[in-house]
Amino acid sequence: MTNFFLQALTEVGSPAVLSLIILGVLFGIVGGSIPGFTVTMAILVVFPFTFAMDPVSGVSLMIGVFVGGYSGGIVSGVMLGIPGTPSSITTVYDGYPMAQRGEPGRALGIGVMSSFLGTLISVAVLVFFGPLIASFSMNFRPWEITALIVFALTLVAGLSNGALLKGLLAAAIGLLITTVGYDRNSNLRFDFGLPVLGSGFEMLPVMIGVFAFSQLLGNIEKMRDEGSSGKGVDTNVTIPYGLIMKDMAAQKLNTLRSSLIGSLVGALPGTGGTVANFVSYDQAKKFSRHPEEFGKGTPSGIVASEASNSAVAGGAFVPTLALGIPGDLPMAIMMGVLILHGITPGPMMFEQNPVLVGAIYASLLIGAVVMVLCNLLLVRWFAKISLIPQQILVPVVLMLCAIGAYALNNNLFDIWVLFIFGVIGYLLWKAEVPLTPLILGVVLGNNLERQLFRALELDASWLTFLTRPLSALFLALAVASVVFSLYQDRKVQRLKKVSSSQ
Amino acid sequence: MLTLTKDRALALALLLIVAVMWVESGSIRPPTSWQPYGSALFPRILLVTIALLSLLLLARTFFTRVATPYKPWPLAAKEWLIHRKTIVALFLFFGLYAALLPIVGYITATISFLVVSLALLLGIDTKRKWIINLGISCTFAPLVFVIFRYGLNVWLP
Repeated sequence: MTNFFLQALTEVGSPAVLSLIILGVLFGIVGGSIPGFTVTMAILVVFPFTFAMDPVSGVSLMIGVFVGGYSGGIVSGVMLGIPGTPSSITTVYDGYPMAQRGEPGRALGIGVMSSFLGTLISVAVLVFFGPLIASFSMNFRPWEITALIVFALTLVAGLSNGALLKGLLAAAIGLLITTVGYDRNSNLRFDFGLPVLGSGFEMLPVMIGVFAFSQLLGNIEKMRDEGSSGKGVDTNVTIPYGLIMKDMAAQKLNTLRSSLIGSLVGALPGTGGTVANFVSYDQAKKFSRHPEEFGKGTPSGIVASEASNSAVAGGAFVPTLALGIPGDLPMAIMMGVLILHGITPGPMMFEQNPVLVGAIYASLLIGAVVMVLCNLLLVRWFAKISLIPQQILVPVVLMLCAIGAYALNNNLFDIWVLFIFGVIGYLLWKAEVPLTPLILGVVLGNNLERQLFRALELDASWLTFLTRPLSALFLALAVASVVFSLYQDRKVQRLKKVSSSQ
Repeated sequence: MLTLTKDRALALALLLIVAVMWVESGSIRPPTSWQPYGSALFPRILLVTIALLSLLLLARTFFTRVATPYKPWPLAAKEWLIHRKTIVALFLFFGLYAALLPIVGYITATISFLVVSLALLLGIDTKRKWIINLGISCTFAPLVFVIFRYGLNVWLP
């Protein structure tokens, strides 16, 4: 693996790829800085630009966005008191009060350094656990893979804001979308007599349509309802490097613990940066000798938040690369990038594409270094950019989405697919249907059907799914996750009833 | 009187889609002699799943009380259209943009889309807003064209 890593490092270290990583990190930070834009949106916007690139260049650019995006929330969190991404909500708890105290540079510096260390530790987790899980999952046969995908989908559906029923519906709709067009036996399905539907829906326009429209138009609605917060912000920031080093030296254990929590949470399907953020912040508070300082501008709070949300990046790659199952939305899109470039993530990837796996490790590491440099040197600019109003952002991003969808196959029909799924996504969002399970269903649908049929062709009995221990275990876990979510739903409903009756 | 709540509308719409797709799945080629199951199996499993979940969702609406009473749907839809006219207009502009792209070409269609969308969202009451609007529209559209056409070798219509 070392040889492949060095080969990958040479490829990633070439001026062209390096420039792409820098561009990706810059765009990621900008995307993460703008409240309401999110890491996922930044990834979706950059995705089309990778179409004409070779896999290493494309993946490196995307990883740059990924790393930059997770750290970008610091800027708006500290300067505006608004989390740029949901995964930096707890950054605001201590970053903003510290900035208000007249130390925005210190808050930003601590956040950036924690992000850097969090990414590094998560890469170590990925390098260690990725191949380990991949070699274990090599023994998986179609029954196990089918059951594992079902488990991942139920888990993600169950974790969708306490809306289990709608989460499961969304996952099933996502899977159904992939059945349109010719199947693997060249049988036509659901074309409704329209020749354009013969080749089915491309994954990218569906994903962008469902996610981007609901997100962007939702931002517009929120802005109209709440009114824009045009508060004046002083973007003049100086970074006190010496003080930050001293702060970070006192946070060694907190950094390590938060990064490990972030990596672990990132590796679990359906969780992601937001959950990591809260779990880590809560743990840091419990372990702290001065829990009363949390929420008032303590460095420990910023470290816990930023180290954990950045560590999600490396952790989330573990199931995506090792099992071919993305855990969250950004990873589902990242998997789409890999598939588009002809690479199928899964246990075989470590054997078939070791250079690309090495390139992912190298890009994460280089991206982390670039992220620190960009954030520290250009923080003033990012703070200014984070003030771009949604009114300007929405039309430009919608235009980029349209061009991205078209550029995939130079096919105008894909823009219509984007539009139609945009309407569907918006309506589903209004009906409070979680969209992450739907997108995950779209990404995993073809593989689920392929594995299910392979299993049934090898043994026509459905009972085999229950007689093979691992397959049975995954299915049992799927049922358990549904039962647990039901229990959680009930608990939430009870709490709501109690609070409304008081 | 029964009111059409969000959940009920969702469940009924999904049940309708399931019914249409179930009928359509009848035209999928049946399995050959060597196939244990045909191409219709997987979508039909999903259709049954969606139907069952939709029925559950529908049933749940009769057992859970909604905190705020819902208005009859024609009134609610009318209010929504008035309240969310910006969203409806943006969707319309995007649909028009998609329709115009192959007719007038990328540059004209994109600049037009950006100008009208920005005018809708930013407003047109001051000269400054117009300068921002035209500046962004006339910069971004050609810039994206140049990046895709010359940087990435992707032809735009």
